[in-house]
Amino acid sequence: MPATSGPLTPGLASFLKTLKTNPIDTSIDNLISLLKRRQIRHSRSCATATAYLLRGVISASRTNDASKLIERVQHVGRRLMAAQPREMVVGNIVRRVLGLIRDEAEDDREGDFNLSEAGSESQPQTPRGLDDPTDALSGRHDGSDRGASRQPFSALTAAPISMFSLLSHPEAENSLPGTPISASPSGRLLGHAPTKDIRAEVLDGISEIIDELTQVDDQIAAYALDHIHSNEIILTHTSSTTVQKFLLKAAAKRKFTVIHAESYPNNHEATHATVSGANPHDDELLSTESFQKPLIALGITVILIPDSAVFALMSRVNKVILGTHSVLANGGLVAAAGTRVIARAAKVHQTPVVVVSGVYKLSPVYPFDFDSLIEYGDASKVIEYEDGDLVDQIDVQNPLYDYVPAELIDLYITNLGGHAPSYLYRIVSDHYRKEDISV
Amino acid sequence: MAAATSTSSDVAKPFDIVATYNELLRSDPDLTMPIAAIEALVLLLTHSPSSTISETLDLLEKSTAHLKQSIPNPIGLSAGTDLFQRYLITTLQRPGQLGPAGDFNAIRAHLLSNGRLFIRRAKESRDKIAAFGRGFVRDGSTVLTNGGSRVVASLLQQAAGEKGGPSAVRFRVIYVLSSAKGDVEGSSAEPEGMETVRALREKGVPVATIPESAVAYSLGKADMVIVGAEGVVENGGIVSRMGTYQIGLLAKAMGKPFYVVAESHKFVRLYPLGQYDLPIEQRVIDFKTEEDVADEAKQQEQQTQPRTPDVKSPDSHDSVDYTPPHLISALITDSGVLTPSAVSEELIKIWF
Repeated sequence: MPATSGPLTPGLASFLKTLKTNPIDTSIDNLISLLKRRQIRHSRSCATATAYLLRGVISASRTNDASKLIERVQHVGRRLMAAQPREMVVGNIVRRVLGLIRDEAEDDREGDFNLSEAGSESQPQTPRGLDDPTDALSGRHDGSDRGASRQPFSALTAAPISMFSLLSHPEAENSLPGTPISASPSGRLLGHAPTKDIRAEVLDGISEIIDELTQVDDQIAAYALDHIHSNEIILTHTSSTTVQKFLLKAAAKRKFTVIHAESYPNNHEATHATVSGANPHDDELLSTESFQKPLIALGITVILIPDSAVFALMSRVNKVILGTHSVLANGGLVAAAGTRVIARAAKVHQTPVVVVSGVYKLSPVYPFDFDSLIEYGDASKVIEYEDGDLVDQIDVQNPLYDYVPAELIDLYITNLGGHAPSYLYRIVSDHYRKEDISV
Repeated sequence: MAAATSTSSDVAKPFDIVATYNELLRSDPDLTMPIAAIEALVLLLTHSPSSTISETLDLLEKSTAHLKQSIPNPIGLSAGTDLFQRYLITTLQRPGQLGPAGDFNAIRAHLLSNGRLFIRRAKESRDKIAAFGRGFVRDGSTVLTNGGSRVVASLLQQAAGEKGGPSAVRFRVIYVLSSAKGDVEGSSAEPEGMETVRALREKGVPVATIPESAVAYSLGKADMVIVGAEGVVENGGIVSRMGTYQIGLLAKAMGKPFYVVAESHKFVRLYPLGQYDLPIEQRVIDFKTEEDVADEAKQQEQQTQPRTPDVKSPDSHDSVDYTPPHLISALITDSGVLTPSAVSEELIKIWF
């Protein structure tokens, strides 16, 4: 966490303030540079900034044409994601907005889908007249999905039942742009737009995403009493508002003990502040949450420990509750450095590891290369530059994140409920469109 | 369809599905078992004049059962026949269609006229998988693989194919070749996978070939294991050539990711509880006393011809084992990179 203090520091608050007044292109550049300079860094701040920016982008683009909107959002999204590829929530929000636009465009189209499907009679690959009835039928049963696959941006053919794609009618395969069949729906997509205000619907959808971002911690905290029982000893790590709210919710009803690992050197100050209830002085966190009572005020015993003591204490711990930076499609996660050690120690002691995370942190990206996910931070936090002699002689590294493989996690609690890591792929497919996975 | 007519002309009047299936597999080395089975069923339909739905389904069911019985290892095959049957039934059951009879003819016509297309799509799905899987093979990585899987071969070759291009992947391959079999007649034959080894070496990929016994020794030098599969079962485990299970176990023990590459038409509705729960007869473990050995030798002398071909005991070359899902990091399929638990969902979608 950068020691950003003072009202002039650029960050989420200043970005949101200027978003209303600046032209949209300036705001895009502004957010890109904020991301690049890591002046916005919390997952949720990045997500919120992205969502607000995209809302601005959509309302600034004076078109009601879905394909143009998609193109615009993709263009902006690519730039944002390139600015900070490790901040995966940015990509997640971009993908969700793209999915929103696609959904709206399809809803719009569904009404007259069958009609035009029957109209496309000349099939280049099926010379028999017999095939036409099937065409109309297959058009009806999987209309929405096939319609999606025909959009010029689709990377994958999203068949309704993917295993049948092998045997399905050849017409479904003609999703390449330029063929007469694919031209007709997208042409209609342009022509049909005036009946509904796609842009307004999408803007509503983005506002819902923004609402979700503000409510997510409370929604997750609602599950707290199911997971935290009286007199349990809970171990947690770093200062995560999600975890803190989760614990506070349970503390209102039950008495338990919290062991808090401080996560030196990157986040120990914020962790100390969380434990003691002092104001963190972080402009990004300066919201109502930062003023809430600490756990100790509710009569919870909180034990602050250095990270090195985690293993020693693990045998006494009943449950490990962790926050995360982002969650990946295979059930693994990227979280603050030190998380893997804790998860590993918990595994050795057979202690359940619960990860609390909003669905917005769940990324459809499959981690091909774990090392590339890990960001390295300021080495001076490990050794001050004043110790010049030492800095010259040794190589100091300060990784900010850990990759934790799925097998070390027992349960994910999201705003949708509790899920096993192996089930996350399902939530991914519910939230992101296949064609948007590679933006 | 050219193959279809040629097969039908030289086969005697009654259509022999087993012979057709074997002929299809033999004529095209790139064909997988499920696709060959689907092709055989398509040909069967062209040869039978059945016009009602139940007649056709009945015919399919009978022929499938016959086919399964006559093939020593019908696991891969049944994925194809099931898919074909379910496609037919599901398409017919879709609500809001025209009169059933008209539908049926249309579906039948579609299936009959597009046999080649299915084969083409099946082959294309390998390219799709290769595109998905390319991200897994990274610069400087070492991949351990085994067997003669065509999907794995195409994945590795595609990764290597970019050599010289802007995104050349410089990787190495440790190829596990099945050691010369105990029996003498197999030793002259080339071990499965040698073709891929040559193709990769030609493209400048350094390939080391090791015997199966050296997997544990070599795994320390590998970054990941990529294997193919004959069938992917409901719980996400795989049925694959003998030796895959032990590689999976070793990879797990060493903490190396174990990826399976398979087309989604290989998903088969089967839930094996263990190695010995597969619906096939394998004589891998064959206890014998001296007496039995002597008996067998005597029998061999009496019978001048070795054995009837359909009861041939599967040698180690043909036998398969079952790799349970907890050993598998991910399945790279044409519908994306899946966790093992996603397989059951795909299957449920077509069955229920």
